[in-house]
Amino acid sequence: MTRLTQIPGLPPLVAAAGLLAAWELAARVFDISGLPPAHAALRELPVILTDKESLLNILDSIRRMVVGFAFALVFAIPVGLMMGRSRLTAAFFNPLLMIIYPVPKAALMPIIMLWLGVGDASKTLVIFLGVSLPVIYHAYQGARAVEEKMLWSAAAMGMDARARLTRIVFPAALPEIMVGVRTGLVLALITMVTSEMIARKQGVGDILFNALAMAQYETVYATIVIIGLLGFVIDVGFERLRAHLVAWAEPAHEIAAVGST
Amino acid sequence: MTFTRRASEIAIGILPIALVIALWHAIAASGIAPAVLLPPPGAVFARLIEQAGSRQFLDNAAVTLYRLFAGFSIAVVVGVTLGVAATGSKAVEGIVKPLVRVLAPLPKVALYPAMILMLGFDDASKIALVVADAVFPILLATYQGTSAVDNKLVWSARAAGCTPRRALFTVVLMAALPSVLTGCRIGLIISCIVVFLAEMITSTDGLGYLLVRAGRNFETVDMFVPLISISILGLTLNAAFNALRKWLLRGFAEES
Amino acid sequence: MISIERLSKAFDTARGTSHLALSDISLDVAGGEFVSILGPSGCGKSTLLYIVGGFVPPSSGAVRVQGAAVTGPGPDRGPVFQEFALFPWKTVLGNVMYGLLEQGAPKKIAEDRARALIEMVHLKGYENFYPKELSGGMKQRVAIARTLAYGPSILLMDEPFGALDAHTRTGMQHELLEIWERDRKTVLFVTHSVEEAVFLSDRVVVLTRSPGRIKEISRIDLPRPRRRAELLVDRRYQDYVVAIEKLMDDPAEVRA
Repeated sequence: MTRLTQIPGLPPLVAAAGLLAAWELAARVFDISGLPPAHAALRELPVILTDKESLLNILDSIRRMVVGFAFALVFAIPVGLMMGRSRLTAAFFNPLLMIIYPVPKAALMPIIMLWLGVGDASKTLVIFLGVSLPVIYHAYQGARAVEEKMLWSAAAMGMDARARLTRIVFPAALPEIMVGVRTGLVLALITMVTSEMIARKQGVGDILFNALAMAQYETVYATIVIIGLLGFVIDVGFERLRAHLVAWAEPAHEIAAVGST
Repeated sequence: MTFTRRASEIAIGILPIALVIALWHAIAASGIAPAVLLPPPGAVFARLIEQAGSRQFLDNAAVTLYRLFAGFSIAVVVGVTLGVAATGSKAVEGIVKPLVRVLAPLPKVALYPAMILMLGFDDASKIALVVADAVFPILLATYQGTSAVDNKLVWSARAAGCTPRRALFTVVLMAALPSVLTGCRIGLIISCIVVFLAEMITSTDGLGYLLVRAGRNFETVDMFVPLISISILGLTLNAAFNALRKWLLRGFAEES
Repeated sequence: MISIERLSKAFDTARGTSHLALSDISLDVAGGEFVSILGPSGCGKSTLLYIVGGFVPPSSGAVRVQGAAVTGPGPDRGPVFQEFALFPWKTVLGNVMYGLLEQGAPKKIAEDRARALIEMVHLKGYENFYPKELSGGMKQRVAIARTLAYGPSILLMDEPFGALDAHTRTGMQHELLEIWERDRKTVLFVTHSVEEAVFLSDRVVVLTRSPGRIKEISRIDLPRPRRRAELLVDRRYQDYVVAIEKLMDDPAEVRA
């Protein structure tokens, strides 16, 4: 038993299989029309994934997610680092961020749609906003925690302020930034799905509610499975990357990674 | 010295907020953006104050609050219990840990249609979504906090005659309180956000619904009011929770 | 009183191998005796104490207290740790009352007894302070009072003064001896300070570097009550210290 659980990846696989089994069992025992058995939903998976329109919809969603996410990183990491190194910058941005923090970014969809239409721009902007906040926050925390003495030695060696930021503060804050990036990734996916559910024009979120409206329950559940797999793959992939980039640091605190929608 | 520094920092902090509002006002006043797209801030805040006294608006806010607290409370009970149990028992840990590994990265909002199918369009499915989203940070924080508690605290209690099970809740959970409360605060803000989104996606009442309804009727002013309300609600809850946390943790050493 | 029979302890390491921490320890401690366990760091001396406390199970061998095999912690053996292990969410009074309440004492009686103990360890007036507000020496006094409160016949002290500065440390040694002279509890005292061991003990057990084996047991025949100022100029005290120091850095040991 102890030996088996030490094989990486096995316990989650068993857990996933257990969840599917519990689902199948519950569907058979309770027999509610809203809960088709697991095998029926899984049978829909290849149908959705080979249907050209659905596949394009899903790929479109992922593309928006990647673009919004990339822009957010480019913007948020420098802002966070500067806030961490300058009290003035931090004092300037902090209250603004505090006000924005509890606003669900996807809730801005209806207003942004008024301005930018229902196309890619609105959804990408919402994803950008959703990802930026946690990345700024963690880059800020990371930069703030950088040891003063490290910067003194760098300054003594003749590094200017800019070089200190990119060559000392950035790598030193990288483990904390990575925590923010991971939260951002989770949020990118959540914001993507939610904004599509609210805008209801195209994308994965739209497929979900269309199927719901047309009572194609198997498709609803199959799409949920697809989104779930997407989330899991992104998470595992990122953990690999993180372990590679900041192998020298402590493992990321998991609370932060699932925190804040 | 520190006081004037603090005061000047607050002043600097108000500056960007004032700038945003000024810019917003300038754009609206200049006529670059028609009022249908961007109402002037004065109109929005006037409407907010007017709505704050309206019965219908308050009823909708009450519905949102009910869903928020119902979901959050269930998430706290479930998350804390499972987190403590996972620390206390290898068997529970063996089940909970892989399940969390699989379920935590899943965007819970994707489960919302399934919850609607099983629980209907009313409160239950929205509360379920809040629970699903808020429970993981609480569970993880509790598990990590409780498993990091120094054995010697437990041993001190056990030597005094405390049973292992009692020690789990009266010593381990108490010692992990700073971490547990951090998880709960994250869970609370998430609950706030999620309940609003759920109401936007499908609902006939609540603050989220007010936003969608206003959007459908192109009443831009009324779209801003729920957004500002949810921000104020989140800030208020956060501040209230911090005060509670400070009181509960009065014996613990300061931490960030 | 305490009889340790052929005790060994092995730990599983992260690399999957097994590390032998204690090997074949046999020791009898009489009632009312003060015995120190001395050894280099990593020799398993604390582990030995934890096994007697019933906090950690032995790999082989057994510990008996008054004839009964130890299977877990019990109020007959009270621990005092280097890290104090006070409950941060309880006040000084709450910490000292804890064991009495666990033992089922009525609240009033528990409080009276706790107040008396707090006075005995010279902390009168600090009853409502939280541990974080106290210095290291004061914290350790609270920890000792907390353990004495439920009346253990054996004290298990795990480098209790190791985290204190030199001055506080000698003060605490005197206080401990005062308390001990009064009711002559059996004490197992782990330390890595030779002077501390000689000053306090009836017998000093020297352990080897890992795995910990008993290297020698020295009887300390110094008159009691002991005063540090007098002992420092006492030839016999100096001889004990020098002899045990020599044992500790025996070159045959260094290979590990």
